[in-house]
Amino acid sequence: MKLLAFRIRNFRSIIDTGWHSLSSDDITGLIGQNESGKTSILEALSSFYDGKISEDTLRSDLSMPVVSCLFSVDDDNEITDILKEKLLPAGVIEQIRTDKSVSLEREWNEDLSSRILLGGEKVVALFNKHDEGVIAKNDRIEEAINRILQKKKDVIASFQQAENERLGIETRLNDAKATVNEISRSLKVKGKKDAEEKKKLQNQLAAAKNKVNEIKNLLNEKSQEVQKLNKAVQTVAGEARYAEMSKEAWREFEEIQREQNEVFGRLTNLQRLYDHALSEKERRAIQLEMDGVNDRYMKLLKEYEQTRERAIKRRLLAYKILEGLPPAAAEKETEREKPHINPFYTRLEAGSLIVEHIPEFVMFEDFSSLLPNRIDLDDILNGNAAIEGYKAARNFLEVAGLNEAFFRESNSRILKQKIEKLNRDLTLDFQDFWQQRIGRHNKITINFELEHYDNTHPDKSGFPYLEFWVKDRQERLYPKQRSRGVRWFLSFYLELKAAISRKDFKGKVLLIDEPGLSLHARAQEDVLKVFEHIKDKVQVIYTTHSPHLIDIKKLYRLLAVQRNIHDDENSETVVFDAKSLTSASADTLSPIYTLMGSRLSEQQFIQKKNNIILEDLTNYYYFSAFHALLGYPPEAFFLPATDVSNVQTLVNLLMGWGLDFIVVTDESPEGLKTYQDLKKNVYGNNDNKIREKVILMDGFQGVEDLFSTLDFKKHVLHQRIGIPESNSDFVRDNKLSRTLLASDFLKSIQEMKITDFDEETRENIENVFQAIVERLQA
Amino acid sequence: MVKREELREEMERQRDEITRQRNEIIESIQYASLIQTSLLPQKKLIDKVFPRNFVLYLPKNIVSGDFYWMVSRGRKAYFAVADCTGHGVPGALMSILGISFLNEIVTMHDNLPANRILNLLREMVMKALHQTGDSTEALDGMDISLCIYDQEKMILQYAGANHPIYIIRGEVVIEYKPDRMPIGVSGIEEQPFTNQYVELKKNDTLYLFTDGYVDQFGGSEGKKFKFDPFRTLLLKIARLPMKSQKKILLETFEKWKGEFIQVDDILVMGIKIP
Repeated sequence: MKLLAFRIRNFRSIIDTGWHSLSSDDITGLIGQNESGKTSILEALSSFYDGKISEDTLRSDLSMPVVSCLFSVDDDNEITDILKEKLLPAGVIEQIRTDKSVSLEREWNEDLSSRILLGGEKVVALFNKHDEGVIAKNDRIEEAINRILQKKKDVIASFQQAENERLGIETRLNDAKATVNEISRSLKVKGKKDAEEKKKLQNQLAAAKNKVNEIKNLLNEKSQEVQKLNKAVQTVAGEARYAEMSKEAWREFEEIQREQNEVFGRLTNLQRLYDHALSEKERRAIQLEMDGVNDRYMKLLKEYEQTRERAIKRRLLAYKILEGLPPAAAEKETEREKPHINPFYTRLEAGSLIVEHIPEFVMFEDFSSLLPNRIDLDDILNGNAAIEGYKAARNFLEVAGLNEAFFRESNSRILKQKIEKLNRDLTLDFQDFWQQRIGRHNKITINFELEHYDNTHPDKSGFPYLEFWVKDRQERLYPKQRSRGVRWFLSFYLELKAAISRKDFKGKVLLIDEPGLSLHARAQEDVLKVFEHIKDKVQVIYTTHSPHLIDIKKLYRLLAVQRNIHDDENSETVVFDAKSLTSASADTLSPIYTLMGSRLSEQQFIQKKNNIILEDLTNYYYFSAFHALLGYPPEAFFLPATDVSNVQTLVNLLMGWGLDFIVVTDESPEGLKTYQDLKKNVYGNNDNKIREKVILMDGFQGVEDLFSTLDFKKHVLHQRIGIPESNSDFVRDNKLSRTLLASDFLKSIQEMKITDFDEETRENIENVFQAIVERLQA
Repeated sequence: MVKREELREEMERQRDEITRQRNEIIESIQYASLIQTSLLPQKKLIDKVFPRNFVLYLPKNIVSGDFYWMVSRGRKAYFAVADCTGHGVPGALMSILGISFLNEIVTMHDNLPANRILNLLREMVMKALHQTGDSTEALDGMDISLCIYDQEKMILQYAGANHPIYIIRGEVVIEYKPDRMPIGVSGIEEQPFTNQYVELKKNDTLYLFTDGYVDQFGGSEGKKFKFDPFRTLLLKIARLPMKSQKKILLETFEKWKGEFIQVDDILVMGIKIP
């Protein structure tokens, strides 16, 4: 994977850089004035990799930083090999394969913690679509659960009502029975005495008994209804049991979630109090409380996972049962599906896995990375990064392939021999790698020795330390006795070498702020050569003010960084890529101007706009003639390169000067090569972008072929011989001087009109000039 | 006596020698004729593009300075009828050059319009014959009518060097006139040929021809046949089947020629648009 492009948002003076591609040849320079934000870009990229930012990175509006990086995906299976445990939402892999790249985003939270997400507009849309699908499914399940619970409630209510009614009927029955008994009793007592009374009572008794029977029937009916409803309650209760369990599990989960948020809030509050504590005593007290809260938080985290898992599982189980699956089968199925483990990667999970495979981003800092004179072995072995020169010394050991075991050799003579051999090997390797010289015949080598403190250092007496020497033909000096330039070179070498020698080397993006600031101009140019040398393995992004660190032939490597001042309070870092250098300010581009010596645009030859770069002088004569014949466009300034191979240099110059231009090339092999080189190096392989600026004369091998054969013979060659081959081939095969023919033609057009040419010639010329006009107007 | 005898023998010997040489030449020309015929498009190719067609091809001698040519590329058919300077062997040599060049042009260049093909053909002929426009050099070359027919769009492109073409639609003969210059150097400086586009209709009949037919002396007064009677004849027969057209053209020609000798090669190509 290689870093292809970046986008930085809300990072120091940067609001949003937009996407910017790195140079196609993996050496990218950031130019700009002091305080423009160049270093912020390097820091942001470094933070993307290690996730670390400080408070002062944040913008005053407290919008949190987001850094996105785009990486190449070289192999169709590269991503599926990394993300093989779970699934990705439909279409994501296909999208990555189509793009041949993958985008990762690091977002920071308010507590300065961060997370890496799989990004990219289209990929994110696919994830969102997938998430919406999952939410819709959960909504459906939730609805089914709520429905059954409501049904249970309704059935119970009906049951209770029926039961109440039944009880009412029962009471009425008892009352009726009591009435019967009472009448019977009266009949017994009073019936004997009075016949009339007896008859009356007998009638009453019969009526009461009838009533009893009537109510009994009613009761019977109601009892049956109650029984039925009771059964229904049993059934629905069985069905609803799983739904209730699901509800209960979610309630528990939500409760834990709520508590977790609350505890997290307390924790951040305590942290803030701790940071601002006025005394050690206060700090200790807060620390104590914080430890307790932290324990609780950790416990809640665990509970969070458990309750979440249970809730998800129970919800699915309930759903399956409601769908008609018998409980036992549903439970078995749910267990098999492991619904608590989401089978799909989240953007976070995918991002966190992919980031393991991206190149290592390393910020190479001049000052902390310089080789020290000596360093305690313990400090290196214990990873004491705060010690001066730690990084360079650690790199040194890594390059030499040394670890703790090496220094455990008890026989000091053997150890000395080993070191001597290593010194020899390292030197050779260094010379081999480092073909540049500092001073014409002054090749430098690096040596180290293992020494032990003597009793002049009573606190360290007997402890081992490493001593470094830098040698050239004349002298053997401590690193600090050498110039900063030499030290920089050495440290830089060690950094690169260490990275490449690592077994798990997966590419590296080296971020270098002002490389070789202390180097002589020639040595600075050597730095560029070193970048060239390593670019296949190490991508370099560097900032510079120095014209010596810019290759005038490769201005496409540059990104211009400048601060746009909106008002006194607000300013923003903006980045221009090579294609839009014209929009950058003159101050920003000053290293390029320095390199060029003087501003071409101040001369008559090249103008601010409407410059048309042509392959050579022949093209220049013909195009000038065509321009005169056609009479349009009103303003066109033809600039001949000395040869087609130099078109790119001219393009670079004009870009550097911030001048507008278009290019016209033909379809000869050299013309096509120039077109392809420009496309790759300047226009990021984007067909549309190059078409906006570069006109490829389709089907014409040379400018002479714009003429019909007849017109070429008539107006250029002034001969009537047969020419079946193309005009350009004829000129070449007969070794005619192209330039002479062209300049003669230019001289001869004084008396000519465009209508003197035949339709074929007119059509060809007009097509090319129409293309020129369209691009100039655009 | 001896002298006369010797003289007779010598004469006989010479006669035999001449006969032998003549036979050899005829044999070799006949073989050349085979080669020339094999370079002409095969009937099945023409039939494939235009199922209804005829070619009336009557060389004056064994080999001919007239040729016809056809190539099919995708939906386009390229075809031509040409008449090279001279007839017999010199004409035949030139015709072979013409056929080769035309084949080369359509192979090397895609989608050239008809006039550009003629422009290029002229360049090739001029180069092959080392013509530079000098007034002392021979004006060898050819006249040609070249067509490109787009079978899908039914559009015909025509460019002509001294050769017109006729299209008969219903009762009307439409003549498309050529540029008045040959393929090859001439008295005036070369100009580009012009391209003419014709929208064809089903059952249009297209005729390409060399000037041998109209230039034939004959009839009762021994005059040239001429273009007007030729046009009238074509209009009369255009609706007949192609085979009958060819037969009538041939019979009319023979009848007109009568006892006169054939003055030039004859070539008429008739095509019914499918």
